[in-house]
Amino acid sequence: MTQRQALLLVGSPRGIENSTSGRLGGQLLDALERRGLKTQRLHVHEAVRSSQGLETALCAVGTADLMVLSLPLYVDSFPAPVIAFLEHVARSGTRRERVQFALIIQCGFPEKEQNETAIAIARRFASEVGWTWLGAIALGALETRGGSVNDAFDRAAEALAKGEPVPYVPVRTTMPAWLYRLGGNFMWWRVAKKNGTAGRLRAKPYAD
Amino acid sequence: MNAVVLDGFLDETGQDALAALRDALGSARFEVEVIALRTKTIAPCVGCFGCWVKTPGECVIDDEGRDVARSLARADVIVHFTPVTFGGVSSELKKALDRIIPNISPFFAKVQGETHHQKRYAQPPSLIGLGVLPTPDREAEALFKTLVEDNATNLRSPRTAVAVVALDRPDTFKEILHGLVEAVTR
Repeated sequence: MTQRQALLLVGSPRGIENSTSGRLGGQLLDALERRGLKTQRLHVHEAVRSSQGLETALCAVGTADLMVLSLPLYVDSFPAPVIAFLEHVARSGTRRERVQFALIIQCGFPEKEQNETAIAIARRFASEVGWTWLGAIALGALETRGGSVNDAFDRAAEALAKGEPVPYVPVRTTMPAWLYRLGGNFMWWRVAKKNGTAGRLRAKPYAD
Repeated sequence: MNAVVLDGFLDETGQDALAALRDALGSARFEVEVIALRTKTIAPCVGCFGCWVKTPGECVIDDEGRDVARSLARADVIVHFTPVTFGGVSSELKKALDRIIPNISPFFAKVQGETHHQKRYAQPPSLIGLGVLPTPDREAEALFKTLVEDNATNLRSPRTAVAVVALDRPDTFKEILHGLVEAVTR
């Protein structure tokens, strides 16, 4: 029996090594490797930067059995280079039977529900290119680490390794949304203070 | 009043719909600026948050993305004009949308029960979403409408109107587009 291949597509501008998307995707891929899948990782932003990079990436897509796209929510959807890549995949017109597709998405707000529109777009993409949609692991800003996250990824890997949909596994939130907003606002001010811009955080450079 | 249309088409496919949109905006006495994003050099957002904490209100990348953000900050109405792509927007439109986050504040607020960002400018623009499909497709239309409404919440737009037109039904353009413009001006 041929070894199944999983391809991780990291859709964060910060790359595979330095992004939450790369870390979370890597966690899933490691768990898939332990279950016997052969794995490969690609950075989408890098791939769409050159025709050679794009060709290499499309080749990898053409041979994988399971595609996992891991990215941050950007303006209610995917970062632009990811959409560009998906447009290339759709245009390449290589519809392959039995290709499976799953998504890992995390947003900068505490409510993971804000990922839902982007998840629906991923599902629609899968439908348009003829891939089998296996679901998403959706995380809020406070849910990217910890035991319940590890559990969710283990359970997802177990299902995906068998070609089954990602199961729903509740992930524990570490603080209430109001506290996140309060702490986040303080964090922006503190970072700006270090940059010497705290007094200009509400600047309106484009006001008439 | 002025309207800025972000044209997210890679080619001339949507020009008939764009002409009808110009006509509808003109009839409502808008000054119209159409930005054909395919002709603009706009690098992808690098996710550094520099536009919030290093150069507040302006992206750290010095390219035409800044010009787009400036136009949008001064607009009364903005239009996301795009081929509906997997139910969402095209990569051409998205490359601009990813670069307009300097126009909102980094500070969080509770909006409609969810966490979003505060306004940077006192009067954010109203938002029209105009999607184009080759033929009617209810699922894609519904998804596109949800996405535009989500965008409006994040942009803190006071009024929102969304429609999807089908290229095989050019006879419907006029009525739909006049309805859209009326919805954000009434």
